[in-house]
Amino acid sequence: MEMLLTVLCMSMLGLAVTAIAFGAATRPKKSSSQVQPELRPVKAVGPGRFFADKVVPPDSPGSYVPTEVLLAQIENHVRLEQAAAQSFLESPTHAQLHTKTTSVFVN
Amino acid sequence: MAPDRSELLKDLTADEAQRILAFGSRLTVPSGASLFQLGDPAERLFLIERGRIRLTLPMQVRGREEDVVVEERTSGQTVGWSALIPPHKFTLAATAPLETEVIALPREELRKHFAANPTVGYKITLNLAVVIGHRLQLFQAMWLREMQRTVEKHSA
Repeated sequence: MEMLLTVLCMSMLGLAVTAIAFGAATRPKKSSSQVQPELRPVKAVGPGRFFADKVVPPDSPGSYVPTEVLLAQIENHVRLEQAAAQSFLESPTHAQLHTKTTSVFVN
Repeated sequence: MAPDRSELLKDLTADEAQRILAFGSRLTVPSGASLFQLGDPAERLFLIERGRIRLTLPMQVRGREEDVVVEERTSGQTVGWSALIPPHKFTLAATAPLETEVIALPREELRKHFAANPTVGYKITLNLAVVIGHRLQLFQAMWLREMQRTVEKHSA
């Protein structure tokens, strides 16, 4: 009889512990503060750029060089073009007319 | 200047060349100075005796007008043939990148001399045609090269 009561008490105790643990595990968490945390303002989202309406071409390579250098490049281009044109006049063929020079404006 | 050293006086006898040169006046153009400006009345033709002349055209570069060299002429060559071709206005500007000596030949004296000596006038006109023709062909080829690139760029 004593043994039966002991087993019964132990079972009741185990059931109580299990119930408490289950209740603790399933109880929804409550915020310690009832005040809604302040939300940071979200940066304004720009227009989508995936299919941009207007594609801005990169600046030409010449736009970053000093004007003096640019003028020297133009002069060099003229000289190279004249030399190429002169070669064509000396030997007028289709290939000679369209030979490529090393000018920065055509490369 | 000996006739064989000058593209304008080529095929003239020494005497014929001497008579042409007698109309001229020798000018020294200091380094960096202008010989003539675009649009100036072309009253004189110039034979380069010594030095160099840069022929330039104005071009807009970054909103500023810049003189871009389109041709350089050296000793023995001729500049300013607009003096003999109507409407007698320079179509390029000419400057000397270094001290340069030229012989300036006045148009009116040349015209009178050619009228009185048609053989000399013919030889000089022929020599001038070579100078003008060469520039025409050169710029024609350069223009076509640019056109080809433009077409390729726009049809790519």
